[in-house]
Amino acid sequence: MKYLPLVWSGIWRKPGRTILIFLQVSVAFALFGVLQGLKTGVEHAVDAARADLLIVHSRLSLIMEGLPISLLGPIRSVPGVRVAIPVELFGGYYQKPEQGILSVAVPPDKDWTTAFTFTIAPRHLAAFAKSRTAALVLEATAKKYGWKIGDHIPLVTKVAQKDGSTTWTFDVVGTFTDSDFGGGGDKILMNFGYYDEARVTGRGTVNHINVSVTDPNLAVPVADAIDRISANSSHETKTESIRELAQQQVQQIGDFDFLIRAVVSAVLAALLFAIATMMVQSVRERTSELAVLKTIGFTDRSVFLLILGEALTVCILAAAVGLALATATLPIAARFVTGLSMPKITLAIGLAFAVLVALISAAAPALLAARLRVATALAER
Amino acid sequence: MNFLRQSTALLRLNLAGLVARSGSVLTILIGVSCTVGVLVSMLAMGTGAHRQALGDVRDDIAIVVSRGSSDLDSSVPRDEAAAVADLPGIAVGSDGKPLIGYQSVVIMEGHRRGTGARVFFPLIGTSPTVTAMRPEIHFTEGRMFAPGLHELVVSNPCVRTFSGFELGAERDVRGVGWTVVGHFDQGNSMNCLVLADVETLMTAFGRNVFTEVSVELKSPRDFDAFRTALEANPAVKLDARRERDQVEGRFKGLKALLNFAAYFVGAIMAVGATLGAVNSLYSIVDARRRELATLRAIGFGSGAIVVATLVESMLLALPGALLGAALAWLFFHGMAVSPFGFTFRLDVTPQLAEIGIAWALVMGLIGGLLPALRAARMPVTTALRAT
Repeated sequence: MKYLPLVWSGIWRKPGRTILIFLQVSVAFALFGVLQGLKTGVEHAVDAARADLLIVHSRLSLIMEGLPISLLGPIRSVPGVRVAIPVELFGGYYQKPEQGILSVAVPPDKDWTTAFTFTIAPRHLAAFAKSRTAALVLEATAKKYGWKIGDHIPLVTKVAQKDGSTTWTFDVVGTFTDSDFGGGGDKILMNFGYYDEARVTGRGTVNHINVSVTDPNLAVPVADAIDRISANSSHETKTESIRELAQQQVQQIGDFDFLIRAVVSAVLAALLFAIATMMVQSVRERTSELAVLKTIGFTDRSVFLLILGEALTVCILAAAVGLALATATLPIAARFVTGLSMPKITLAIGLAFAVLVALISAAAPALLAARLRVATALAER
Repeated sequence: MNFLRQSTALLRLNLAGLVARSGSVLTILIGVSCTVGVLVSMLAMGTGAHRQALGDVRDDIAIVVSRGSSDLDSSVPRDEAAAVADLPGIAVGSDGKPLIGYQSVVIMEGHRRGTGARVFFPLIGTSPTVTAMRPEIHFTEGRMFAPGLHELVVSNPCVRTFSGFELGAERDVRGVGWTVVGHFDQGNSMNCLVLADVETLMTAFGRNVFTEVSVELKSPRDFDAFRTALEANPAVKLDARRERDQVEGRFKGLKALLNFAAYFVGAIMAVGATLGAVNSLYSIVDARRRELATLRAIGFGSGAIVVATLVESMLLALPGALLGAALAWLFFHGMAVSPFGFTFRLDVTPQLAEIGIAWALVMGLIGGLLPALRAARMPVTTALRAT
């Protein structure tokens, strides 16, 4: 600790150089933070996805093939099922084709929200259950289009109603938020009854059925039991928890991992060289000063540690600044890619890398300083 | 003229002195090559994906989809699809029938070899005319599916990636066994393609609409007449697009995403490498203080010093750029990646190397600016007194 002032003055011997190195390290670790945050953020989001929320979908496809609604009864009677809610998804747009909005039709049954990742205020929930044309709007969507409670919203879709119109009108009664993995798109919730009665084609089928279980430990046996109901029929089902679905999504983007690793290694390699040359330079310039230190009693070891300490201080502080920067920017990026976050473990890994970079790059210069022979060093002057 | 002579003389002097500053030179070299290497490799993803997507696109093929449909949500009813056959400009195959392919896409489940991870990919129902319209389809094993039978043909990348596509294997689709009867290559495409007879598939799925209709025209010039005739028919609500436009449109989002990622990461790394270069150049300039002061004393202008230092810094960045682009080519050219569910090969092209070199030169220029000014402003007396 008593060497701290010495380390500090060594760092500020050439302020311009130190500031540049500091910035370079900060930038590198900001990039590291953003990239790692992307990766670990996704992993964490997968772990956070609920294992007790099951999606029953057609064995053939997640959304493109429907299921007969008659499956609902048998599924509800499977022991361990809390609620089973039919879900119909259909696309549409608001005013312009570019402003796509997904409509999610669900019946407002008792406890239906337990089978979804939505968070809805109780009064909005009650209003939604009361009216057939009621709609709940994702908070971000409502903000984007300036919709308020009481507004009538027309959506143009590809689904025809009995009167031939493909425009569906809803009354906004509230908003909700969605914590689903990757569930960032604009969407509204509508009443399944209204939808099923008004539509012309596809009645009696649904996209999938959401199921919540009474006990998370029952998720796997319940899923198996549900799939057994329709085994060997023409509409076999596949029941998966949303955590499993999230895992599959992540596997599909598997090569991203490799990419991030490659970029991070390139950044760190460039950093190693930059710091190493700067430190060697700094030690060379200070030959006589270091010799004086040794003359007044500093051991080789303490000179070695002194140089190492300088590199460590700069690297750790700069890395902290860079990681803080990345943490500050991630919430902005999270608006485009849901599930981004900066877990503490990433910060820890980043700082560990900073220590590693400092130690490796400063080892040679520090050794150079430690091996300095006082007589020769002073004689050079 | 004098200015130019001074600058070149200085530059020659500077470059000769660099041998002694190998550490600083190495920092610039490695910083720049890492940046350019990453930038070029990441841009190569976009180029590779683009080449793959447009590789087999033909100008004489038109795609007919339902009006206003974005892409996969197109639905073409049977009666409207039948009307397409009466339009002018459609080429005729060797058997005398018009070259029209009806398509219907369903999603099927596959399992990756090795990991067993499940993926969904399209099973494309298509007319048997597809082999006439797509001569790049080349069977390596087995044969084409027979109309009316539950048979599948599979592209070789698919056979390699997923399990259960061996010749003679039976896949369960809608409770019916479909037999794999052929393996094919499609040009250079790395895409997983599974084809089946469209009519059989639609019967199995109880469907009555096609996803799209593709038409081979007699020549690319016939497209306008074809589209005009299609639009003039009040009975159909269909749009005709050139295949190139259709594919480009589908591809735009992915390309924008890939390029954004490349330039974002590339820009951040460039800032870091430029800072490193500034530091290195400062130390190079500092080491030359006496030399520079002497030159100033004997009449070299400060403008010449600035120019010489800037050119030197750009020349220092150049080998890094070449090295970075070369490494990107060496390690990543032709590497197959599938970051967004579909596979393509990275394509490191000379154009990308040019972009990399341009970035490096800008990095050199910006990085050299401050050190060059310091070199030019060095007070003669102090510098000469320096050790």
